[in-house]
Amino acid sequence: MAVKTFRSRIRESIANDALQTALDGNAEKRVKGCLAAFASLPDHQERRQRAYAVRAEVIAHLDEYLAQFIAKVSKNGITVHRAQDAAEAVKIVLKIIADSPWRRKEHGENQNNIPVHLRSSAVNSPPLVAKSKSMVSEEINLNHALAAAGIHVVETDLGEYIVQLRGERPSHIITPAVHLRRGDVGQLFHEKLGIPYTEDIPTLTNTARKVLRAVFLTADVGLSGINFGVAESGTLCIVTNEGNGRMCTTIPPVHIALMGMERLVPTLDDLALMLSLLPRSATGQKLSVYTNLIHSPKRETDADGPRERHLIILDNGRSAIRYSLLAESLYCIRCGACLNACPVFREIGGHAYVGADGSIAPYPGPIGSVISPGLFGCENYGHLAQASSLCGACKEACPVDIDLPGLLLRVRAGEETRPPKIGGERREEREDEKKKEGIGLPFALKLGLRAFRLAARTPRLFAVMQRVGGFLSRIYSPRSAYMRAPVFTGWGFSKDFPRLAVKPFRARWRKINRDPQRTGARGAKDAQENIKKKNELRALRDFAVRSSLTDQFAEELAALGGAAYRVSEKELPGKLAEFFQTRGIDRVFVDEVGSRYVKGISLVRAPDSDVRAGITGALAGIAETGSLVIIAGAGKPLTASLLPEIHIAILKTSEIYASLPQVLNLREVREAATGILITGPSRTADIEMTLTIGVHGPGELHVFLIDNP
Amino acid sequence: MPETVQLFVTCLVDTFFPHIGEAMVKVLTRAGVNIDFPAAQTCCGQPAFNAGLRSEARPLAEHTLRVFEKTSGPIIVPSGSCAAMVRHGYLELFDGDPLWYPRAQALAERTFEFTEFLVDVLGVTNLEAHWDGKLTYHASCHLLRGLGVDRQPRALLSTVKGAEIIELPHADECCGFGGVFSVEHPEISAEMLKRKINNLEATQSPTLVVADTGCLMHIQGGLVRQGKGQRVVHIAEVLENREWRIVDGSQDLPFTNP
Repeated sequence: MAVKTFRSRIRESIANDALQTALDGNAEKRVKGCLAAFASLPDHQERRQRAYAVRAEVIAHLDEYLAQFIAKVSKNGITVHRAQDAAEAVKIVLKIIADSPWRRKEHGENQNNIPVHLRSSAVNSPPLVAKSKSMVSEEINLNHALAAAGIHVVETDLGEYIVQLRGERPSHIITPAVHLRRGDVGQLFHEKLGIPYTEDIPTLTNTARKVLRAVFLTADVGLSGINFGVAESGTLCIVTNEGNGRMCTTIPPVHIALMGMERLVPTLDDLALMLSLLPRSATGQKLSVYTNLIHSPKRETDADGPRERHLIILDNGRSAIRYSLLAESLYCIRCGACLNACPVFREIGGHAYVGADGSIAPYPGPIGSVISPGLFGCENYGHLAQASSLCGACKEACPVDIDLPGLLLRVRAGEETRPPKIGGERREEREDEKKKEGIGLPFALKLGLRAFRLAARTPRLFAVMQRVGGFLSRIYSPRSAYMRAPVFTGWGFSKDFPRLAVKPFRARWRKINRDPQRTGARGAKDAQENIKKKNELRALRDFAVRSSLTDQFAEELAALGGAAYRVSEKELPGKLAEFFQTRGIDRVFVDEVGSRYVKGISLVRAPDSDVRAGITGALAGIAETGSLVIIAGAGKPLTASLLPEIHIAILKTSEIYASLPQVLNLREVREAATGILITGPSRTADIEMTLTIGVHGPGELHVFLIDNP
Repeated sequence: MPETVQLFVTCLVDTFFPHIGEAMVKVLTRAGVNIDFPAAQTCCGQPAFNAGLRSEARPLAEHTLRVFEKTSGPIIVPSGSCAAMVRHGYLELFDGDPLWYPRAQALAERTFEFTEFLVDVLGVTNLEAHWDGKLTYHASCHLLRGLGVDRQPRALLSTVKGAEIIELPHADECCGFGGVFSVEHPEISAEMLKRKINNLEATQSPTLVVADTGCLMHIQGGLVRQGKGQRVVHIAEVLENREWRIVDGSQDLPFTNP
């Protein structure tokens, strides 16, 4: 019984105090963070409407945009695969892994750094897959399928890693371990990783960093999701905060990206629009720490990057949704804001959304209650849509303004994959509709609503029923205007029910209408004349024009926990030497720009586990977000800004641009195999929503700004 | 000639809270409009529509359309969710229907929520109402997010003499009613209601003002069950008052809980 399992899960969630505390913390921190982040975007309501239009355009003309996108991606040297369903996607992943000539790289020496449970057996070393967050992989149950094929998959997002170690599914699209508290993680790491029990979040994070670092360095394949594909340029955009996404797409020799077929935007400007909304809605950031813009595998002259890149584009029911009345659910950009805003999610958490078969729905929350039935059928997940008070907090929170309450209503009405009606409908269609509607609704309620309809359809009968009800409720509850309702009614679980009036309004009207007071209506106003559409004034805040782009860049960077120093080109070597001396650094990983300015200490030009600092040039900066732009290329190892604990970047102030769209359209960014926007030091909030700096990427970011004449 | 408006009192006001309908009539009269009450009206069909039973909702929507099509002038509804049903729900219900869709559209254009009509259409905010004591306002979901009506009830309350308006923390959070949701998922609904009542208690206001009768019966039902003395009133009841009136917790309750 579908509804029974669902309701028992709900009861368990509500009775679980630790879960309740965790969910309250999530809701409060995320909603607050989101509001604060949007305060810096005065036109955000208008942007939401534009984003809606962009996504609507893509879904309406998906075939054309997909063709354009696939042509570009293939031309850029990435192998494109298309999968109709989960089984086909899994088959493709397995085949890529089996066929890859790069798989058996020499990893032997690094194996010792890996905890025993992750070590491949020396004799029969199974392939190791380092995986960054992908909801599509959850949807197709990829981890399970790979494990069954003898492949070792390690989740590398901190939250996903925790959830994987526990043998669970993520309970939130963005914060997979939102249901756990620090003590749970401490106990887990104690048991599975053999560290002493601790509740110190930085210690826990650092433990995961060490374990997973070895995984990145030895993995045969990196697997990731995709946030957006750009049709005009073939760009694959992946946003991540911890740096694991960068690791998985840079270090292993093979990168496989999984993508839902709907995740496209037409142009780079559209991408910029989406990137102004997604991180704000998801985590309250102006930009995520790492915005990866991937175009191709490693090119001949590039310092690093994977030799092979594959893109798997998954349908898995999306085409069917596209032609149904639930098409708007495909506009979703998976930010999780609707989960954070939803009062129902806040009470029950992601693991309570279960199907009729008892399985946890891959996508929880308001959007999940639409796309789970849409993608996998109403029979198994349709009842989830009934668990909403239709309060609309989800729609309000949605960065692309999806009408989630409207879509939930359509799922309830059994509209899941029926094509939209064109013109009038025939009688037999109406009959068919009737069978499916009210999915998940208990029989007693259906009967009650039917009886109510029969009475309310006939005003006289309705009036009689009101009188009878009024009389009976007076007998049932002679003294109190609110009656004790039995628990089985549902209502009586937590509240009393109002007594029906002995004399309803319709019976009072005649008397009211004759009331002499009413004839004294004063000040006749012609209401018709005044009828107007409400015109809400939207006071846009005036933002003081900042003194200069450089100052704005430095301010934004400082707010993220990074540091900026303004120096002349001549002073730079001296300042760097001073920096290294005070930090006790005697070896540094350099790219070609860095090597020009670092004097007097030993330089390394390839990844090395002992080197603490990396120094790189930066192609550009973005003032509004404090971001650096780094690209792959000859003499430009991406790992120099990724593997060391400290990243030092050199940026010319003339290369600081005002905003994101300008940078995304730079020729160098469009043409590089990979471009990365770095927005502050690596970070996570996967344990109890507590911000922790320094996960997989550098924990320190220092930018030397060169004022060129 | 003053404009005549059509009263759509909703089945909840008609059946459970006729005094709210009476208060609304007094307030509208004071604002200078004539009122008519089409007696054949019953329910807009929202309960079945929200439950997903569109074939049950449709006959009630058709009935409501027929009843009000015989009248003219604005239709005033003392409940945000019922007004939203007529304005938005009917368009969805009759989407693609060449006969009924235009009729639903015409009705939607004539339909106004009570406070929206007072402020936006009549341009009235001061109705010379009095209320002695604290008041706090709960922003009902369909009124706030469905119709975008929020400043209107707040403006009306701000002119009530003697009233001390206290901001309800998380005023825009759902109280957990949601029609059949409250019956179908009583556990979740109860938790949401608990949160709302806790926020109400934090204001120390004895009176909670709403502009939707669904929320009213839900929150009041919870308060009574918990043995609490706060009273939930419809905004029309506040605006109706022209006399100084002392409201002090349970003293003024129209009911007592044994």
